[in-house]
Amino acid sequence: MTTIRKFCCNDLLRFASVNLDHLTETFNMSFYMTYLARWPDYFHVAEGPGNRIMGYIMGKVEGQGESWHGHVTAVSVAPEYRRQQLAKKLMNLLEDISDKIDKAYFVDLFVRASNVPAIKMYEKLGYVVYRRVLRYYSGEEDGLDMRKALSRDVDKKSVIPLKRPITPDELEYD
Amino acid sequence: MSSSLAGKFGYAGGIPERKVRPVWDAIDSRQYKNALKLSSTLLNKYPNLPYAMALKALILERMGKHEEALSICMEAKELLHKNVSLLMDDLTLSTLQIVFQRLDRLDLATSLYDYACGRIPNNLELMMGLFNCYVREYAYVKQQQTAIKMYKLVGEERFLLWAVCSIQLQVSCGQGGEKLLGLAEGLLKKHIASHSLHEPEALIVYISVLEQQGKYGDALEVLSGKLGSLILIEVDRLRLQGRLLAQSGDNAAAASTFQKILEMCPDDWECFLHYLGCLLEDDQSWCNGVTSEPRCPPGSVNKLPHITDDMFNSRIQDASAFVRKLETEASDDSKRGPSLAYLEIERRKLLHGIGAKEKLIDALVLYFSRFGYLACFCSDVEVFLDILTPDEKMDLLEKLKESSVSTSMVPTKSLGLAISLQKLQLQIGITYKLPDAELESLAVKMINIYRKNLPLSKDLDPQESMHGEDLFHMASNILVQLYWRTGKIGYLLEIVMMLELGLNIRRFVSQYKIILLHLYSHLGALPVAYEWFRTLDVKNILLESLSHQILPQLLLSPLWEALNDLLKDYLKFMDDHLRESADLTFLAYRHRNYSKVIEFVQFKEQLQHSNQYLIARLESSILKLKEKANNIEEEEGVFESLKCGTQALELANDTLCQSLTFNEELQLRPWWTPTPKKDYLLGPFEELKHPMENLDHCREWETNVRENVERRSLLPRMIYLSVQCVSASSKENIDVNGSVSDSTFSLEMKSLLERYVKILGCSVDEAVKVVLDVAEGQRPLEALGSDLIDWVNFAVFLNAWNLSSHESVLPRAEGSTSLWHLVNSLLQKCIVQKVRITGPKVCSPGGDLPVLVQLIAEPVAWHCLILQSYVRSSIPCGKKKKKIGPTDGSTSVLSQTIRDSVLSLYSIIEVVVEWLKEEVNKTEDEAVDHMLSSLTSDPNEGPGKVYQALIELWSTADEGELGDRIFQGIKSWSPTDVARKTFKGQHKMMSTFLQICDSKLKLLETVKQQI
Repeated sequence: MTTIRKFCCNDLLRFASVNLDHLTETFNMSFYMTYLARWPDYFHVAEGPGNRIMGYIMGKVEGQGESWHGHVTAVSVAPEYRRQQLAKKLMNLLEDISDKIDKAYFVDLFVRASNVPAIKMYEKLGYVVYRRVLRYYSGEEDGLDMRKALSRDVDKKSVIPLKRPITPDELEYD
Repeated sequence: MSSSLAGKFGYAGGIPERKVRPVWDAIDSRQYKNALKLSSTLLNKYPNLPYAMALKALILERMGKHEEALSICMEAKELLHKNVSLLMDDLTLSTLQIVFQRLDRLDLATSLYDYACGRIPNNLELMMGLFNCYVREYAYVKQQQTAIKMYKLVGEERFLLWAVCSIQLQVSCGQGGEKLLGLAEGLLKKHIASHSLHEPEALIVYISVLEQQGKYGDALEVLSGKLGSLILIEVDRLRLQGRLLAQSGDNAAAASTFQKILEMCPDDWECFLHYLGCLLEDDQSWCNGVTSEPRCPPGSVNKLPHITDDMFNSRIQDASAFVRKLETEASDDSKRGPSLAYLEIERRKLLHGIGAKEKLIDALVLYFSRFGYLACFCSDVEVFLDILTPDEKMDLLEKLKESSVSTSMVPTKSLGLAISLQKLQLQIGITYKLPDAELESLAVKMINIYRKNLPLSKDLDPQESMHGEDLFHMASNILVQLYWRTGKIGYLLEIVMMLELGLNIRRFVSQYKIILLHLYSHLGALPVAYEWFRTLDVKNILLESLSHQILPQLLLSPLWEALNDLLKDYLKFMDDHLRESADLTFLAYRHRNYSKVIEFVQFKEQLQHSNQYLIARLESSILKLKEKANNIEEEEGVFESLKCGTQALELANDTLCQSLTFNEELQLRPWWTPTPKKDYLLGPFEELKHPMENLDHCREWETNVRENVERRSLLPRMIYLSVQCVSASSKENIDVNGSVSDSTFSLEMKSLLERYVKILGCSVDEAVKVVLDVAEGQRPLEALGSDLIDWVNFAVFLNAWNLSSHESVLPRAEGSTSLWHLVNSLLQKCIVQKVRITGPKVCSPGGDLPVLVQLIAEPVAWHCLILQSYVRSSIPCGKKKKKIGPTDGSTSVLSQTIRDSVLSLYSIIEVVVEWLKEEVNKTEDEAVDHMLSSLTSDPNEGPGKVYQALIELWSTADEGELGDRIFQGIKSWSPTDVARKTFKGQHKMMSTFLQICDSKLKLLETVKQQI
């Protein structure tokens, strides 16, 4: 049983069980708070019975013209609450807001090329690898830019994969 | 040049943009030298142009040339003040503002903007800049005034909302009374009448203003009116509506609103609790205008008189019918919700005295059969178990066991089921009633289940959690219980071996790392504990919520370097955040997310008042004093940086007036050390019947923190004053006319001593009696309890004060000299006894080594400092090598006493050094053998069985079955290596401590020669 609500500052003090996961980055405060200050609708937390933080998602909406899109910056679930499709619920919520409220064309995310379980999960949720970003992670590991088209992109133009990989400085957004 | 130029295209601060851009480019790419060169050229071309000056100042500040930067800024500021014709645009001012802020001179930026707004009225950009300055200074009233001016100027909704937020901040975080909210409401109403509202956040703020005044009806009216459509997400609007209805006391309407939400989000637990609470009218958490939403199901219910049994029954039937409907309609991924809801309904019935326990138990069995395989099963059902008696819990357990046998599932799920069953047994506590042997076989059983199921994880990615990781965690709980009962250290070592194996198999299990770091701390191998802590990658906000896992141990250890690193990282994080927080608040203003404005300010206050932040600041001061205590000249440098100890006093005074906050995430601690204050591994062993009891230690811990902070905040000043008192006393001996300031030191010291012992619960006279009795052996050392260090510190400071005071403090003494004896014999008693108790280290973990370390690092260090001060002030300048001859009788008596004191202290520390050397010189092989032998001692009784099971796991591992990764992980595990690592950790603790002791001996040697 899950309550999904907007993330608030206090949750930063309670999300350690999620962030101790080695693949979940703990960003600096201005990073989290910039997201809260600018895109509060894209930052949600899931709580289980007993006020336990189960996981959270943070993201934003940006871009111009047909590049106007939702972006998943981080999604993470505590070990205790894995394997019950919580990440899917959180992703659906963000997609829904991008689609219905902000009328974006697509949602995208970056994932480490080595993080096979995550890539598989995103594929199950309907994301496709749009392009490879060379040495995206700390100049070492490649990242995959994955996308899912939303209802506004009727012809699904946004998800036609690029043929060649790009470098981080070719990225339109950070 | 006129200010209108600033806005024109192509100009920046009065300079063509193409000329400015290279400077900014250089700054952005951190080529400050080049930037400085470019900006100097620019300044030559545009001398006395404030923007060019501001740019140069900015670069100088980045280069660390703070004074130069400030002086240029001041020059620019003066120019702007003097010369009306100069350009005064936002670009210039905001550049100056950045530099002022980085130089911690927000006030200068504010006054500059204030002046500019006066000079150039009705300039919106400048007014926004001024508002921003007030946000940075948390000056809510000024913020409000400025926002209102902007609102009046342009009539924009956002500026009105800025003003309203500033009013709300005055009420929630400032000095403003609640009647200000009426003003905010009035402003909003007036604006709505003429312009309506256009932003969802504006509506949220309006409703919150009404809500804060208890005007729920009005708020509901607004929400259901035209403005309500601003909230685009239907569920969000309904949630707000439900909350307002519940607060207004309209339970029926609230319940139906929550019901609507549940139809859309059937898995929403919090909403279900609201629904049930309103439907049954038994949840009081909405009353009295409580706006924070209840998140836990109520532990008890208030039955209202107007609800008859029939009414209750019919409502609960409605609820059941509704939940059944949800269950049938729910999609696959939210079925857990309705099932839990059904459990809650049964629980509520019981609370109202009409339910049957069997029904709840049956519902739990059903829930188990469907969701028992989930890792969160036990935490899900925790609240429902609380209502059952121990016998009923046993009954439940039996039924669950039966049901698990009859269920056939895929292997991973049936493993999950088996784990939940074991976990539940631990949670209920029945395992703890088992005899030792059975308990031990249970732990062995868990390891065997783990082993059997390892192949299930063969194809998992190393990033994924493996199946059955919980089993090692549970087994470690059982082993702790066995350690408790028997006191046999082998059980703890078995846990260490087991978890190290687990981490060899998959190195990311943070749960294991946390247990290990506490066990290594307990075993005296703190360096190893610290290494594990570091692998958790605790940074940024996690430093606030997780440092408690290691910081308390480090504070009591000789590992000053590690302590210093942790404190530095943590303080940097906190200071940085407190500095930048206001900028982020302004960002929320700018992006019109007004509710975040209030939240950010409140959060900043919560961090600012953090107990850990206060402790860290105090302890980092004390650490500096400890580190330099062997050299009085260097110590004086430290005093200077700490404002002679007054800084710590101010810190505690300021913060303690406000209430301290406790932001630690305690849930992640092992249950046997629920707070940093409580560690069950230290005993008393008979106290705990069942480890899940007694978990509520938070209050005890919080009280202790407050007292401790108060005590520690006095230390730096008392140390400083001790040194002053001693040097003043010597001056008096030489120069009969003691100066006025000397007696001020003495008076202040006296009052601090009084405060210090008051925290210990007595007056100075009583305290003197206590330490005297202990020193003379009339009371046991235990009489000083856990405050031992504070008592000894008191004796040391008392002695120093007494030298400069003419009061006699000892009831049956003959002058000040006997206080020296008192200190010596007290130190001797404590230290010798602690050395005796601590004994040979390798197999005796626990509490006394930290006490010993503190005795040397604190009271002994302060006492040595006092001796240094005495020696220095009694030696005439320039004749340091020459021994002082007796000037008169009293001085020679004192010198003799002090010489005795030095000798005595020397011999006391030697006792510790001897003991430490013995420990340090133990060979690694000998220690490792000793450790491993505690795991294999007796074939008939524990410890050793779990260890055997681990060895078996290791020796029978099959590469084909487990896959290369798991197989290699298992094979790389070596108990001998683990034992060596433990020994090395202990050895490092001892040798670091030995260095500290040696340095004290060396110091005393020098002092001895000087007297």
